[in-house]
Amino acid sequence: MVGLSTGEKHFIWGGIAQDLRSDGRQRLHYRPISIETGVIPQANGSARVRIGATDVIASIKAELGKPSMHQPGKGKISIFVDCSPTAAPMFEGRGGEELSTELAVALQRCLLGGKSGAGAGIDLSSLIVTEGKICWDLYIDGLVVSSDGNLLDALGAAIKAALSNTGIPKVNVDLGPSPDDQPEVNVSDEEFLQFDTSGVPVIVTLTKVGRHYIVNATSEEESQMSSAVSVSVNRHGHICGLTKRGGAGLDPSVIMDMISVGKHVSEQLITVLDSEISAAEASATD
Amino acid sequence: MEFVSPEGLRLDGRRPMEMRQIRAEIGAVSSADGSAVFEMGNTKVIAAVYGPREVQNRGQQLNDQALVRCEYSMANFSVGDRARRPKGDRRSIEISLVIRQTMEACILTHLMPRSQIDIFVQVLQADGGTRSACINAATLALADAGIPMRDLVTSCSAGYLNSTPLLDLNYVEDSAGGPDVTVGILPKLDKVTLLQMDAKLPKETFEDVMELAIQGCKAVAQYIREVSPQNFIFLASVSQLSVI
Repeated sequence: MVGLSTGEKHFIWGGIAQDLRSDGRQRLHYRPISIETGVIPQANGSARVRIGATDVIASIKAELGKPSMHQPGKGKISIFVDCSPTAAPMFEGRGGEELSTELAVALQRCLLGGKSGAGAGIDLSSLIVTEGKICWDLYIDGLVVSSDGNLLDALGAAIKAALSNTGIPKVNVDLGPSPDDQPEVNVSDEEFLQFDTSGVPVIVTLTKVGRHYIVNATSEEESQMSSAVSVSVNRHGHICGLTKRGGAGLDPSVIMDMISVGKHVSEQLITVLDSEISAAEASATD
Repeated sequence: MEFVSPEGLRLDGRRPMEMRQIRAEIGAVSSADGSAVFEMGNTKVIAAVYGPREVQNRGQQLNDQALVRCEYSMANFSVGDRARRPKGDRRSIEISLVIRQTMEACILTHLMPRSQIDIFVQVLQADGGTRSACINAATLALADAGIPMRDLVTSCSAGYLNSTPLLDLNYVEDSAGGPDVTVGILPKLDKVTLLQMDAKLPKETFEDVMELAIQGCKAVAQYIREVSPQNFIFLASVSQLSVI
């Protein structure tokens, strides 16, 4: 909950209209981003992303499982988000559940592609160990530690960073003589395989306040939004997912405009994230 | 299973009376009034304090003192095998209660009538001793929020395995089935505010184990006083004066 006076609301609106926001940024400027990888040693991969005062942690755990009957050649990925009450007292008890589910579904839509797994940022067939028998189940958990707007973009960035930090153990499978035998699995604890994360998209949320839209809104600015469009864009400039939030309707031409701006912003964001991730990896190995 | 080797070393290479490395960081959540991260070895928790503020649920308002509330939650990735627990299971409700009672004992609640203080603790990594780590983090967060307290409560656990008292058990030692004594003390006033033990122990041994845990609490208190900025110590001394 953000309590704002009429004067403060006018200040935010006027600032956005004049392209000079309350914290001195322009409409399409991001707050500083910092990334730390390997923060949860028990997980296969993890990262903590801070964008301004927003602070999120993503962890990735891999477990051996069985592929689904319909897609014997693909592994499974599930995304969960938890809003910790440390971020805001309103998340106490079951208070954060609605937002958590909204964020988890939006992330799933942006990163995992359609039901068939086509167009996913992570290649599901790379998770297969033995077709139809054994695959890796990836559990992606996001935790919101501190919330100051733009949670979806931060979680998207954290998952991207965590995936690049993830090592999946190499598995040797000993298939039995007959095809019905339970295969013997030997998980190596020395050899790890890295993911190809070049296809993982970034998420850019454009928040519409008044007649203009801004990126990387703070929670004060988000409280004034009429609607928001989240676009996930990959390295090649392809749009991988879209979510519109907020009650107010948008003109189709405005949506097109927002998408093209989002695509433009995503190029810069990918560059920033790449350099931050490699810097974090370098400092983690030191 | 052997928990103390003949050379007197534990599974993680510590001596029986040695604590894990502790680390504290104040001000981790910017939107909270006070917050802190506390690490004991691989156990890592974040505490955030909101308040004193208006009571949200009027029915709970107390006219002579502040209402203290606490919620303990564990991240999905905090334990080794990923288990998705429902919120508010019995264990977390019990720990919330323990933390609330311990903190209530040191907050000068009578100075803030008709107000509410919320303490939220979030476990990022669990490797034994989460209870103690949560209390230490909550103390630092309360101090960061500038809430008047009698003293900085600190907590530590100790156990007894292979006929040896062990300080600050990790997860493996904790699940070995031996006794686990968790103690919380007010180090300056030299009072015990929290004491819990599971399993059984002869009385003489219990005294030794508890004494060891108290020594651990004092070591934590020493560390907290070293890291906390000068203004905490100032606040602590002012609140002490008001008690006397």
